[in-house]
Amino acid sequence: MERRDIQHLYARAGFGASKPLLDASVSMKKKAIVDHLFETSEAIIPLEIDLSAFTNLSNQDLKNKALIRELRKKSRGELQTFNHRWMERLHTSEGVFREKMTLFWANHFVCQDNNIVYAQAYNNTLRTHALGNFREFVKAISKEAAMLRYLNTKQNRKAKPNENFARELMELFTLGVGQYSEKDIKESARAFTGYNHDLKGDFKFREFQHDAGEKVFFGKTGNFNGDDIINIILEQKECAHFICGRIYRYFVNDNVNNKHVEALTEVFYKDYNIENLMRHLFMADWFYEENNIGSKIKSPVEFLVGLQQLVPFTFDKTKDLIKIQKLLGQVLLYPPNVAGWKGGKNWIDSNTLMLRLKSPSIILANTHISIQEKGEFEDSFDKFYSESKKKQFIKATIAWEVFDKTFDGVSYDELQSYIILPKISGGTQSYLTSLNQNSQRNFCVQLMSLPEYQMC
Amino acid sequence: MCAAHVPTRISNVLIMNRRHFIKQSSLASSLIFVPNFMRAFEQISPQHLGYKRLVMIQLSGGNDGLNTIVPFNDDAYYNSRPKIAIAKTDVLKMTDDLGFHSSLLPLKRLYDDGNLSVINNVGYPNPNRSHFRSTAIWQTASAADEYLQTGWIGRYLDAYGTSPHNAIEIDDSLSLALKGETNNGIATKNPNVLFRTSNDPYFKNILAHQNDTHLSEHNLGYLYKTMIDAQSSAKYIFEKNKTATNAVEYPQNAFANQLKTAARLINSGMETRVFYTSLGGFDTHANQVNSQKRLLSMYAEGIEAMVKDLKSQGSFNDTLIVTFSEFGRRVKQNAANGTDHGAASNVFIIGNQLKQQGFYNDLASLSDLDPNGDLKYTVDFRAIYATVLNKWLEVGKQNIINPSFENLNFI
Repeated sequence: MERRDIQHLYARAGFGASKPLLDASVSMKKKAIVDHLFETSEAIIPLEIDLSAFTNLSNQDLKNKALIRELRKKSRGELQTFNHRWMERLHTSEGVFREKMTLFWANHFVCQDNNIVYAQAYNNTLRTHALGNFREFVKAISKEAAMLRYLNTKQNRKAKPNENFARELMELFTLGVGQYSEKDIKESARAFTGYNHDLKGDFKFREFQHDAGEKVFFGKTGNFNGDDIINIILEQKECAHFICGRIYRYFVNDNVNNKHVEALTEVFYKDYNIENLMRHLFMADWFYEENNIGSKIKSPVEFLVGLQQLVPFTFDKTKDLIKIQKLLGQVLLYPPNVAGWKGGKNWIDSNTLMLRLKSPSIILANTHISIQEKGEFEDSFDKFYSESKKKQFIKATIAWEVFDKTFDGVSYDELQSYIILPKISGGTQSYLTSLNQNSQRNFCVQLMSLPEYQMC
Repeated sequence: MCAAHVPTRISNVLIMNRRHFIKQSSLASSLIFVPNFMRAFEQISPQHLGYKRLVMIQLSGGNDGLNTIVPFNDDAYYNSRPKIAIAKTDVLKMTDDLGFHSSLLPLKRLYDDGNLSVINNVGYPNPNRSHFRSTAIWQTASAADEYLQTGWIGRYLDAYGTSPHNAIEIDDSLSLALKGETNNGIATKNPNVLFRTSNDPYFKNILAHQNDTHLSEHNLGYLYKTMIDAQSSAKYIFEKNKTATNAVEYPQNAFANQLKTAARLINSGMETRVFYTSLGGFDTHANQVNSQKRLLSMYAEGIEAMVKDLKSQGSFNDTLIVTFSEFGRRVKQNAANGTDHGAASNVFIIGNQLKQQGFYNDLASLSDLDPNGDLKYTVDFRAIYATVLNKWLEVGKQNIINPSFENLNFI
């Protein structure tokens, strides 16, 4: 397989291919390379932080209002810690493809919870099913505490149905807008009545709040429960088509090629096996066509993790990571709404683009930045106006020596081909060539500061 | 979710943009960064833009409207807030029933001059009590069960904007409110810093070496175009900012600085229709009395300085200042001498061209609350936006705001 094709594969299935991986794979056949990608992502390793402060609570504790307030505050801090650990996982994990899929699903089954216990469980459910069976996945999502809270399923009772989950289930999670009637929403909402969870976050079905009556859904009549509804939705080929469209836009190209999506739909509709779908996608010749390579704008997370893949570094303070995510427009665990981040060009405005172009030097050269993130809503007056908010730089520990060792003896032209995927514009290329290069590190930062580097 | 009224694409806008930008920006020196295909439009005469300006201010965190505009004759108010109600004697009485928080003395002066209109009970159906969600609803002008990915100012820019600096957020990053489908505003707290950032020699050289071919490319071309726009707008803002001055002293705080920058840019006569600012810290769950007092002073003193500044330089006639908060707070106080997230609240309209000065409408009843114990809204915020678009910015609201909202009569 051509090296550039492998780079393309890993840019989409992960966050870029390391040089050792490329060197090792370049003599291999496509199938072996794709197989390797899947094998390394077979293991499901949950991402967990220490939450004992939240889980070892006595009944007495639960009545202590001050403690509960305290825990609520602590939870917000732990969400940031979890965010940081998640980012570390993204650039260090062996199973990078599973992690990329997890990130994809997090922006598909969009959910937000300020309770770290539920948020962590939700995140791991995404990871567990990321390459599994879509049917089981949707059912699991419908029963997650975070989702039961986020889309009000737990308020959905026989006496007073709440349609929020039923609507988004069809509109955003499975079928897409316009593929169902308002009546379908009403009827399916009834099927999800009685869904709830306990304090730990485990699913609880409250029989007495469930509407066990007859429902008419997509022309079928029966005493459907939530799982039945999901089964009926998945019978619609439109569901497979909708998911494949989402997959295509995320992994292949913002501009959909209908023929390719149809081909994926045929594969996916058979058994809703996500792994098979993705294998088909990465084996397809069209995936490697030139117009797909380097054609997507990286998300802020892809951008940051990509930097870390090339030059390993860690943010010394979680706060700094959150700050840069905020300024770039993507804070993990805080999607803007249930439709998620729109992605593509939407990531880019004058300010985010300038910050992206500056970020390599800000982070890797510890250059100060004179910009502040927006304040939190929850800040108190004093916190909001405190001095600490005004300190303006990002501290990172950088392993340049790893970069030096990896690219030892590699020419500048070669280095460029490892770092930049799309074809560099003629003007920019001639400018780069005109610069007197005397350090690989400098050249690397220069390359990472190009608009072309924003593409994957 | 129903996004039917939101535009998917506005053709020719980009072309208009470029043409207008080139003609209007009078930045001969920046033309070296502008690719040839754009220069082709130089000869076409620009559309008239007008110079009415809108300043939006978000009191972020959820300002307690009831302790801002106080119903000092209402027992229900005092009964609900035994520890935090504003005593009748402390209220700046404006009508028989309603008065201002004492921190709003500068605003009372505006009121007396006929430069303030207070709209009570502004909100939307099925109010959401999350800061994030409710802010997104206000910024995108969506319904509570509708999820839009563009802001209302952004959609205004899509339809009528010509370059990023047509809408400026006085901050370091851009809010959803100013992001459109094809056009975005630009954020800057300090035009000099923005200019320095955009003027990085490396970026400049990259753009100087560009030829046209790239710009036709899908995503990468968009990045280069954005870079060119960013650099042009940063330069434009910087140069305009340099030519203008502030005629009055402003208080020393971050919010007043935002207003100072906005006023200066307005006074420069630049082509910016919308300025977006915010004042944070209103999430007063505990011990709210003191913090709200300080915040409202900060707000009112800042506003007064800005209005004076604009008046003294003749630009107040063409400026409308709209202040909102993502929600008000619960009528009943909580155990921590604060208030929890509520729903409807007041919006302040400040300007010289008000049709209805003073109170636009009565305060909603404190004894007929929604099931959460919050004020019921009587004015939808989107009707205010629609009015501002139609009557102030003088554009159609189609594709920006759901057309079902009728104009109000405050301007």
